[in-house]
Amino acid sequence: MNKKILIIEDDPDVRLGYHIRLKANNYDTFFAADALVSITEARKHQPDLIILDLGLPAGDGFVVMERLKANTHLAVIPIIVVSARDHRGNKDRALKAGAKAFLQKPVDNDELLAVIRQLLGEPNVSTQQRT
Amino acid sequence: MSEKTVRILLVEDNAGDARLLREMLNEPGSLKIELTHLGCMSEAVHHLATSAVNIILLDLGLPDAQGLGAVRQAHAVAPSVPLVVLTGLDDEVLAAQALQEGAQDYLIKGQIETYALLRSLRYAIERQRMQVETDQIRKLQLQLKDDFLSHVSHELRSPLTAIYQFVTIVADGLAGETKPEQREYLQIILRNVRQLQSMIDDLLEATRAQAGKLNVEPQCVSVSDAVVYTVNTLQATALAKEITLSFDLSTRVPSAYADPTRLRQILLILFDNAIKFTPNGGAVKVQARALEADPSFLLVEVSDSGCGISPDMTERIFERLYQVAAPALAAREGLGLGLYICKELVTRQGGQIWVQSPPGQGAIFSFTLPVFSLGSLIAPLLRNEAWPADSVALMSVEIGSQDGWLSKEKRERWSRETRILIQKCMLPDLDVLLPKMDSGGAGEVFFVVAFANDKGAAVLAKRIREQFGQLEQLKQAGLTFSVSYKFLKPPPTDAVALSENTVGKMAARIEALIKSEINTRTIHHE
Repeated sequence: MNKKILIIEDDPDVRLGYHIRLKANNYDTFFAADALVSITEARKHQPDLIILDLGLPAGDGFVVMERLKANTHLAVIPIIVVSARDHRGNKDRALKAGAKAFLQKPVDNDELLAVIRQLLGEPNVSTQQRT
Repeated sequence: MSEKTVRILLVEDNAGDARLLREMLNEPGSLKIELTHLGCMSEAVHHLATSAVNIILLDLGLPDAQGLGAVRQAHAVAPSVPLVVLTGLDDEVLAAQALQEGAQDYLIKGQIETYALLRSLRYAIERQRMQVETDQIRKLQLQLKDDFLSHVSHELRSPLTAIYQFVTIVADGLAGETKPEQREYLQIILRNVRQLQSMIDDLLEATRAQAGKLNVEPQCVSVSDAVVYTVNTLQATALAKEITLSFDLSTRVPSAYADPTRLRQILLILFDNAIKFTPNGGAVKVQARALEADPSFLLVEVSDSGCGISPDMTERIFERLYQVAAPALAAREGLGLGLYICKELVTRQGGQIWVQSPPGQGAIFSFTLPVFSLGSLIAPLLRNEAWPADSVALMSVEIGSQDGWLSKEKRERWSRETRILIQKCMLPDLDVLLPKMDSGGAGEVFFVVAFANDKGAAVLAKRIREQFGQLEQLKQAGLTFSVSYKFLKPPPTDAVALSENTVGKMAARIEALIKSEINTRTIHHE
C-alpha cells in the first residue's frame, strides 16, 4: 500500500506541483491550506509524513506543529518544513519545534524525495531518469 | 509656547569666568535656566552620567582635560547632549576643530554678550534636536528598505517554486512525452530559474550584510576540504566552458578559525566569478597556505586566466551592486552582489580580501582568515579576573554510535543538540564550551573549560549526564555518550589575575591536553 503524505500549503499551484511529483513516486497525497484544516485532515487520514509550509492563513506552521505535537496520535508523524522563509533563524526554530528537516523553497525534487524516503525508512532509489 | 527649564552644565575652572557667565544667564529673560557649575572634567563626567542635562558649556582648559580631548570626553559620555565650547581669543583654530568633533558652537571668552550667549544656547539645542531626529529618520528609512527587500525576496520564492515544480514535471515526462527540442528549451528555463533563485539568495544576504546581521559561527575548519568541495561542485560548470579547475594544497594548510558554510560560500562566489570571466579553454587555480608575513593567518588565492581587472577598479568591485562593464565574452549575470557579500563574510571572520591583476595575466583574488589556534582561543578565558576556584577542569563530552561511525546527517543534528544541551548545564560566566574541532574520530567530542574544583566539576558532569539520560531519542537513534574530565592546577598566586606568562603556559597545557584527548580517541576508533 502506498504511504500517505499530508501537504499543508496555501499556494494551490505549489500544492498541485507536490501532488504530481509525489504521485509519480507512488505516494498518496492529502491537502490542507490553512492551520485549522491541517489538524482535522491529519486526524482523518493519519498520514505517514507531513510536508509543512510556514506561512499559512489562520496561524503559521509553528502553530500547526505545536498542535500536532500536543496530540499523542499525531505527534509521531515526521514533519518536513518547506518554506520560503529564510533557513537562518527559522531552521533551528523549526527543528526545535519538532520538525525532522527544514528545506528552503524552491526545494530540489531529488533532495525532497531523499528526505522523504529517509524519514519513511525507505531505500533511496534514484529518481526517475532525468531526460 | 511656554518653554521648559533649560538645564545647563557649565564646566569651567576659572572662578571669574564662571561668575561672569552665571550673571549673564541669571539676567531676566525669556529663557528659564537651571545652572550647574563644576570645575573639572571628572566631576562633569559623573554629573552627566547621573543627571539630565540639556546643554554643556565647556571650557577647553580644565585641570584634568584640555583642548579637543575635553570635547571628546564630554561627547563620549553624553553624545546626545549639545556642547558649546568656551575658548580664548587666540584659539579659533581649536574652536573650529571642536566643531568637527561634535561641538555645536563656540564662544570666545571676553567677547560674550548676554543676547548672543542665549541665542547660541538656543540654536545649539535646536540643531542637536534636528540632528538626532534626522539620524532617527535615516535609520528608520534604512530599516524600512531592508524590511522591504527581505519581504520581496521571500515573496518571490513562492512563484519560483511553482515554476520550478512544473518545469521539472514537464521535463521529466510526468505530463507526457516531450520532444528533444522541447526538453532542451525546458533546460534553458530551469537554468534561468536557478539563476533567479541565487539572485534572490544574494539579495537577502546583501540585505543582511547591510544591516550587520550576517550570521557567522566560527569553528575549526579544514580549508583543504572546503576547496575540494568547491572544485567538485563547480567542476561541471567549468567543463562546459572547457576550463581547467585545479588546486594546489601541496604544503600543509593549517585549519582556519571560520564558519565552514561561510568559507564554502566565499570560495563558491570567487570560483564562480573566475569561471564567468575566463574565456573557453582557460584555467582557474586555487592555492592555500600560511601567510608568510603573519603565520597566524592563512592565505587563499583564486587566480584565473580571464580578462583581468583594470587597476582603478580593484577597490570598486567589492562595492555593493558594482558590476564591471561586461566584456563581450562574459554574459551579464547576477546582481553584482557576490563580491560585496564575499568581502563582508571575510571581514566578519577577521580576514581581508583584495584583488591583483597584472596586465594580461587575469585576476588573482586573495583572502586571509585566522588560523585556528586552541592556545589563542583559550588564553582570553584564563585572563578571567573572577576565578572562584583553585583549578581549571577540562571536560570532554563525547557522542558516538553503537554501530560504529556516526553518519554525517546524525553527526550534524546531534552535534547541534549536544551543544545546546551542554550549554544548558554550564554556568555561563565560569564555563566555556569550546568551538567544534576536527576530532577525526568515530564520534564527536566537545570540550568545556570549567573554572571548577573537584566538587564543581563533579556537579557539572552529573548535570550533563542527567540531561543526556533524559533523552529518549538519543537511545532510539542508537547513540552513546560519555563525560570525563581532567584538572589543571594553576600556580598559586596572590595577584587578582594571572600573569601573561602563566596564561600562555596554561593555555598551552590545556591545548596539549585537548590534542592528546583527540588523538587517543582517533587511535581508539581506528
